[in-house]
Amino acid sequence: MLKNFFSGLGEDIKEIGTTFAEGDIKTRLSFLIFGLGPLLRGQIVKGLAYLAVQIALIWYVIAFGWNYLSKFSTLGTVVTHKENRITVYGDNSFLILLFGLLTIIAFIAFIFIWRENVRENYNEQNLLKEGKELPSNKKVLLSLLDSNFHKTLLALPVTGIFIFTVLPILFMICVAFTNYDKNHQSPTNLFTWVGLENFRQLFKFGSHGFGSTFLAVLGWTMVWAFFATFIDYFLGMAVAVMINKKGIRFKKLWRTILILTIAVPQIVSLLYISKMFATDGLVNGYLMKWGLIKSAIPFWKDPMLARIMIIVINIWIGIPYMMLIATGLLMNIPAELYESAKMDGANSVQMFRHITLPYMLFVTGPFLLTQFTGNLNNFNVIYLLNKGGPQSMRMAENAGRTDLLVTWLYKMTVNDTNYKMAAVIGIMVFLVTAITSLVVYNMLPSVKDEEGFQ
Amino acid sequence: MKRKEQIGNAIIYVVLVLMSIIWLFPFFGLIMQSFRSYDPKVEYGGMVDYIIPHKFSLDNYKFLFSGETNFLRWYGNTLTIAVCVSVFSTLIVLCVSYALSRMRFKGRKLLMRFWLILGMFPGFLTMICLYFLLKTFGLTQAGAVPGLILISVANSGMGYYVCKGYFDTLPRSLDEAALIDGASRARIFLTMVIPLSKPIIIYTALTAFMAPWCDYVFASYVAFGHDASYNVAVALQRWVVTNDYQGYFTRFCAGGILVAVPVTLLFMLLQKYYVEGVTGGAVKG
Amino acid sequence: MKKKFVAALVCAAMAVGLLAGCGGNKSESSSGGAAAPAESGGTEAADVDYGTGEIKIWVADNIVDFTKDTIATFQKDNPQYAGYKVTVEAVGEGDAAGNMITDVEAGADIFGFAQDQIARLVTAGALEEVAPDNVEAVESENDAGAVAAATVGDTLYAYPLTSDNGYFLYYDKSVVTDPSSLEKIIADCEAAGKNFYMEVNSGWYQTAFFFGTGAELTYETDDTGKFTACNASYASPEGLLALKEITELCGSKSFQNGSAIGEATNVGAIVDGTWDAETAQQVFGDNYACAKLPEFTAADGNNYQMSGFGGFKLLGVKPQSDENKLAVCDAIAAYLSSGDVQLARYEAVKWGPSNLEAQKSDIVKSDAALSALAEQLAFTIPQGQYPGDYWTLATSLGDSVISGELTTGSSDDDLMAALQKFQDTCNSYVGK
Repeated sequence: MLKNFFSGLGEDIKEIGTTFAEGDIKTRLSFLIFGLGPLLRGQIVKGLAYLAVQIALIWYVIAFGWNYLSKFSTLGTVVTHKENRITVYGDNSFLILLFGLLTIIAFIAFIFIWRENVRENYNEQNLLKEGKELPSNKKVLLSLLDSNFHKTLLALPVTGIFIFTVLPILFMICVAFTNYDKNHQSPTNLFTWVGLENFRQLFKFGSHGFGSTFLAVLGWTMVWAFFATFIDYFLGMAVAVMINKKGIRFKKLWRTILILTIAVPQIVSLLYISKMFATDGLVNGYLMKWGLIKSAIPFWKDPMLARIMIIVINIWIGIPYMMLIATGLLMNIPAELYESAKMDGANSVQMFRHITLPYMLFVTGPFLLTQFTGNLNNFNVIYLLNKGGPQSMRMAENAGRTDLLVTWLYKMTVNDTNYKMAAVIGIMVFLVTAITSLVVYNMLPSVKDEEGFQ
Repeated sequence: MKRKEQIGNAIIYVVLVLMSIIWLFPFFGLIMQSFRSYDPKVEYGGMVDYIIPHKFSLDNYKFLFSGETNFLRWYGNTLTIAVCVSVFSTLIVLCVSYALSRMRFKGRKLLMRFWLILGMFPGFLTMICLYFLLKTFGLTQAGAVPGLILISVANSGMGYYVCKGYFDTLPRSLDEAALIDGASRARIFLTMVIPLSKPIIIYTALTAFMAPWCDYVFASYVAFGHDASYNVAVALQRWVVTNDYQGYFTRFCAGGILVAVPVTLLFMLLQKYYVEGVTGGAVKG
Repeated sequence: MKKKFVAALVCAAMAVGLLAGCGGNKSESSSGGAAAPAESGGTEAADVDYGTGEIKIWVADNIVDFTKDTIATFQKDNPQYAGYKVTVEAVGEGDAAGNMITDVEAGADIFGFAQDQIARLVTAGALEEVAPDNVEAVESENDAGAVAAATVGDTLYAYPLTSDNGYFLYYDKSVVTDPSSLEKIIADCEAAGKNFYMEVNSGWYQTAFFFGTGAELTYETDDTGKFTACNASYASPEGLLALKEITELCGSKSFQNGSAIGEATNVGAIVDGTWDAETAQQVFGDNYACAKLPEFTAADGNNYQMSGFGGFKLLGVKPQSDENKLAVCDAIAAYLSSGDVQLARYEAVKWGPSNLEAQKSDIVKSDAALSALAEQLAFTIPQGQYPGDYWTLATSLGDSVISGELTTGSSDDDLMAALQKFQDTCNSYVGK
């Protein structure tokens, strides 16, 4: 892959060279002023577009970005100070990092657009050389609704995702290499680069390191995702089979009742359930009133019990969802398969094992994978039910026994404003998700069919 | 054989009835609690360990509508966010899905792979950065409602999987025939593909509509210190978890019911489309 | 309905305050001192043009209406400040500090917070020093503990609002027969099938045991809110006794972890603060009673009086880059924390005043809950500055007991190991 990239780059540079060497004056001037060539050749729309982009980028860098970029290597040096009782704010490391990053991206974009601009000139020149006509401006514009329609469609979404997803993610990756935390909080205090220090902290074992806590949280995250995915999967399928069985009546009623858990916002249902199972809550109250137990069951206090409860309550949410999917899919299994199996004397359990299950596993492979990675990051169920508790002296940085990496990350961000470690954990979550996906994805049978899953 | 089948069915009925009870119980409890009175002489507004109220009353609902809190405002905010996000992100998803499903262009696979990778970063990671980004546009605190809409809509493009999967199943010959007749891509998109996509449009809009009702994390992060910009989830969550709001438990229940009922009704009404979308999405991945 | 009631109360209290102020010279000079630039400077202050602007105030939800009305009165009486538009938002004391730190710029100009947050706020640059003109008045008019709580290093950073942030025992007379002994309280609760609430996984309530047996935990800070020294002796025989007592308590079937009576069910007794007095009266009805915290019999056979923190609520002003606005903020903060307003606030929402004059008033003195608190205060230590991490660390310690990791059956070594780790971590916050 790397080899391809470099050979591609080599060819690119060569092409730029020949463009300049063979280019007329219009083309050569375009190397400096974007879109000049197309403009002179009557390609007003394209030419103006290139020129506008160039002006915008240069304006951004000079008027705004350079100020931040120049401080990027230190993230600011001017400290906030007092003049009498007036506070004079110094450099804001946060903004320097954010807009410095944006400026770097602007540079990259500049080079990229420049390359496109050169290529455009090259193509136009070649067309003219071959004696062909350049497309009219109207045609160029109209192509945005036809052959170039994807550009029109994707312009807005790609921009949106760039600003509100790509840029913040790049920013947070950078934060993982700084000391941005509660003691280095903009705008009053500066933060700066610290290299791999935070990662070292994460893998430091012993009393003040994160190492053992990180592994414990990671372990529970994986265990949780596994159970949450597969228990729901099989139980949901079983329920679907039951409801869809011939001779069972009120199918719609059963389905509707179960679907309620999808429809009611989790903030309402899960918060209520959380209170219901509190040591002084409804369930314990009745169990004690009826004399079934002597002292309250610590549903959320005991680490093991809390974990089991969370998985069980997740079934309450997960079954209906899986049931819906299974219902749809079960209809697709050819009825002849069952008929012939019946002829061979298979009972319903055997039929389930040999026909239903393999079929379902085959079709829902990718779905299971997304469910699994979704559960790795299942914030609501954990946080609304138990906030990741109970905490323990044996774990660092306030991690609780039921904390997932993602809830731990949330607590670090919101409660402790420990952004640097949150960023590190975030990168770890990404790695875990990516590696799991990659490994499982390549094992899936249905992946072989390329168009099926993209 | 017949007898065996009957026994089997009987067992299934028992299981289903038991499940229904378990599934409905929390909602039953929620409804009961919401009707408790708020008169300290009868019972207190906090948590109790019994389910049937000592006295049925509408105190909690009256409180929510009384204007003593901004509940109606919060409700309105959430509704605004939900409707806007639903409309705009559906548009975005349709555009993205059509481009990725029907058109072949340079960088298409790269884009899809890139977005897939982006999706593997946890959402909370970028909260602080998004907050300050929104702030540069003036869309926090007082402007939190449009800010939240902007974020949801801007990132909605990455959720194209299900919709694209649906478009993939529409026969390509339709497009090809239309192209030969001289129709532009835009025309095909607007006059042929969209009308055929009613189920998936409803599915996308429905899921987008439901999400904001549960968003308390980001909403409270963006709107902090500005009561009038809260959404209903932020308020409900505060009532239950903050000690400042003791005795608000029954009010939380009533508020929860007011949130749950319309959303649930809408969901039930459009259930068919939801099932179609989910099933299609699962097979496609 | 509620709003009108509060408003009426405020007006009445104001009137009383003003009348008293006119009548006696003494109270004029003392209680009006903090708000001096506002009240006495009618002629000279009017010459200064404070301009216009907006001021945002964050206070707990239950005093939002009170604060709004008070500010309206204040601006009417002091027209030189009327150019500022003041908005009051409900942001709980718990959230206020976190939000201020997340984004100082968007934070409130004046905000109420519990004192445990002060060092964190100073470090993050979210607190301005109290105006030099007001320092003397604040220090002389409020009780010493409150002033200490508002001081970081040698600098006074906040205006004391209340000195009722301590805890004591509320109980049901019909259940608890002897509120002076923890063992008896628990036995009574167990017998009656009622719950005993105490939030042992909170760093605030937990100290009742540790300080009770004589273990220590205090910090020293410099002017910038950095912690310079830690004096911790949890990993000691005293600390061990305290931790054992906590495991003992958590082992009871009556024990519930919690400190909010409004969230509690089936309460026999609860360790809670004055802010819940009204709720406690509603919950217990005729059997409402309160007392200082009980004694407990530790594993060594001795009796120890439960101790804990006496804490304070404070009002802070954010650093400003506009001199006039800062002056107005200071004037408002001084007024909101002045004796008269503290007294009015007590009457409206029962917040116990930190102002010495207000503490002496008859209504405050006759308050049952405040009396119990006052009795308990003799056994507590005034809460100094603690790092933010301490509170979450304490939750870990408490949870370790509640979750059964540490129980009455745990060996001394295990308990000691936990305490040692706790103490080491407490020490590690120094210098950060």
